[in-house]
Amino acid sequence: MFGYLVGRVAQAVVVVFVMSIIVFVGVYAIGNPIDVMIDPGATAEIRENLIRQYGLDQPLWRQYFTFVGNVLQGDLGRSMVYNTSVTGLVFSRLPATLELVLVSVTIASVIGIPAGLYAGYKPDSIAAKLIMALSVLGFSVPTFWIGMLLIMAFAVELGWLPSGGRGEVAQFLWFKTSLATTNGWEHVIMPAINLSLFKMGLLIRLTRAGMVEAMGAEYVRFARAQGLPDRQIVFSHILRNISIPVITVFGLELGSTLAFAVVTETVFNWPGVGKLIIDSILQLDRPVMVSYLVMVVILFVMINLIVDLIYARLDPRVRLKGGS
Amino acid sequence: MLKTTLRSGIATLAVLVTAPMAMSQDLMIGLRAGPDSIDPHWSTLGSQAEALRHVFDTLVDVDEKLQLKPGLAVSWEAIDETTWEFKMREGVKFHDGSDFDAEDVKFSIERIPEVTGPMPMTLYTKYVDTVEVVDPMTLRITTKGMAPSLPNDFTRLFVVPSETGMEARNEEFNSGEKAIGTGPYTFVSWQPKGDLVLSRFDDYWDGAPAWENVTRREIADDAARVAALKSGQVDLINYVPATDYLSMQNDNSLETFVSDSVYILNIAPSVKDEEPQPIKVNGVEVDGNPLQDLRVRKALDLAINRDVLVNVVLEGLGKPANQLMPEGFFGYSDKLGVREYDIEQAKALLAEAGYPDGFEIDFTCTNNRVPGDAVVCEALAQMWSRLGLTVNAQALNGTVYFPAAAREEYTMTMSAWGTLTGEAAYTYGALTHTKDPEKGFGNFNRSGYSNPEFDKVFYEGSQTLDTEARRKLYEDASFIAMEDRALIPTVILQTVWAAKADTLDMTPRVDQETRAYAITPE
Repeated sequence: MFGYLVGRVAQAVVVVFVMSIIVFVGVYAIGNPIDVMIDPGATAEIRENLIRQYGLDQPLWRQYFTFVGNVLQGDLGRSMVYNTSVTGLVFSRLPATLELVLVSVTIASVIGIPAGLYAGYKPDSIAAKLIMALSVLGFSVPTFWIGMLLIMAFAVELGWLPSGGRGEVAQFLWFKTSLATTNGWEHVIMPAINLSLFKMGLLIRLTRAGMVEAMGAEYVRFARAQGLPDRQIVFSHILRNISIPVITVFGLELGSTLAFAVVTETVFNWPGVGKLIIDSILQLDRPVMVSYLVMVVILFVMINLIVDLIYARLDPRVRLKGGS
Repeated sequence: MLKTTLRSGIATLAVLVTAPMAMSQDLMIGLRAGPDSIDPHWSTLGSQAEALRHVFDTLVDVDEKLQLKPGLAVSWEAIDETTWEFKMREGVKFHDGSDFDAEDVKFSIERIPEVTGPMPMTLYTKYVDTVEVVDPMTLRITTKGMAPSLPNDFTRLFVVPSETGMEARNEEFNSGEKAIGTGPYTFVSWQPKGDLVLSRFDDYWDGAPAWENVTRREIADDAARVAALKSGQVDLINYVPATDYLSMQNDNSLETFVSDSVYILNIAPSVKDEEPQPIKVNGVEVDGNPLQDLRVRKALDLAINRDVLVNVVLEGLGKPANQLMPEGFFGYSDKLGVREYDIEQAKALLAEAGYPDGFEIDFTCTNNRVPGDAVVCEALAQMWSRLGLTVNAQALNGTVYFPAAAREEYTMTMSAWGTLTGEAAYTYGALTHTKDPEKGFGNFNRSGYSNPEFDKVFYEGSQTLDTEARRKLYEDASFIAMEDRALIPTVILQTVWAAKADTLDMTPRVDQETRAYAITPE
């Protein structure tokens, strides 16, 4: 187990390192951020000074090693646009994204998994067909469009919910969250539902497929022959067996939602990290782009590691060997 | 008698009903962009200046048409070729109660090079050589060379108290500790990309503004901003998209305000000896650069149907342009006529120039930098195809477009240019003057255009302190560059604000700033 962890961490370090090079070279290739930012009236002298001041006149490899050196000292740099530290900037917006993602994955799993189980348990019922039809809608209709529809219906026409933004925050245990206030919930519920639809559709289909397959499996027939009630078969035997693909997809989806909930955040004006990174890309705010993408890689590596650990817990046949 | 009583009774009732509305002291504005920092000397970004204007005053102010008017300075004059003298306004207080004087201005000028970022404000102080406080109400500035446009530059010179200290940085301003100005509103709080909360400053020198509490909320997405207005979350929004503007015309609960902007979409044909992307006839690269021929540039111009661009492509939110600045700006030429659409004459000119069957050309534009740039780009390509050209139009994101345009990789481009200073030196000096880093001209001249006649008239203007004489010279310079099709102006973009009907009144500004203190409850 320990050897396995060490191997995985070593793997992660290599991935992060390679990724940082790719991101750095890619961002470098786009061009000089000063040309995007500078005011048209600036003289050539002002421009030259800036390029020197931000070290953009240095060769690529030197810029890269300066960056890596700073990161190793825990300094991810300062945003060229906001003039604040990148870490501070990301962490000031991370709670908003975490709230949104937490609520949306909860909605997706609480509704998606039971609905999928049911649709697989009674595949011919009308309810099952309805669930499947809705699941197709869930991941085929574009998020921004559903988002706009939700806003038009619940904010503009009915006036029940606010059209966007994050609500009031209040202290909850040791951190501040908008999930601790009613106003906060009013703000989060619509974007969270919007964000959950795709994942919900995916979970329904995955669970159903696993369920249908498992229903015909020998261990289910055995359990039935033993006279076990269906409830027990489904929840303690089948669910455990179909969990592995569900958890894999769930983990990956969780990661991409955390990192790139951009569309929902934009439509609902949610002050999360997804919007931050898009704005940074548009303004070519190099330190934020590079650091954020490296942070995202670390996040994905961690989620994958946790998913693998959960595998082993669920399925004793999965052995955690060093480096594999 | 009864009728009058009844009528006055109804009137009273109406007042009673509407009274709480009219008394409302809070204004919530939904804006496409906000500030990046509360430090007024950090960046030249337009949305930054617009927001910080509420907290800090500038030395010189501009009216709705971008023409100069007194701000913290009540008057200014050039006392000799390289010296400007500014008279300060008496009785102005900072938010912390201290008095404003010339020392604060001197400190602000000196602070800029210390703290400014990648969008540097040194742009506005580049002509300043020394700053001398003659007495608390008089400031004398000697300039590097002659600087007739110094008062224009100082329209973005925000003044902070000299007690701020050189060490104060971004963090102290963002927290509010140093966010002390003389402006109409005091700073309450701000989140990057979030809300800027402001509270009325009762001792403001120009009279306390109407609204007691103002929140400037950043809602970057157009559809989300419109939804926020329709659902009543905000009272006013800026940059209403054209499609929503059309539907708002039929909606009695909303009111719109339309204004010309400073932004004009213009085409830049490269006139270098070797065009960056090859121009081809029948797949074979042509000798020389056809765009060097004025007849070709005129043909391109004549083939543009500006009425169609305005009424069809931009859904009415634009005006045909015949030069790089809107009417009324300093140096706008009255002599340039309306640009007519004449495809026959265009074809004739093209044939005369030796391209009767047209040619194949690359055309690159910005995408979504300003409203409508990509659609105008496509429409232009179609108009030119009627002329017999094969146009490979491409609209690119600014992140890609600007660095490549700076490397001069495109043969023909279209982008928006805004004359943010309201005068010709800024626009023509950067775009159509021969590239001359020594004098600081032609920084954005990517087409290689160089006309000694234009340069002479323009330079003479830049060295003339007399306002009227300078205006005349700039008008002549505009005329020369535009007749020569150095750049081809197409349309002036218009922008739209929308508010709930009958709640507020505002005069739209040509620089598109939304100034809460200039908005009054209705």
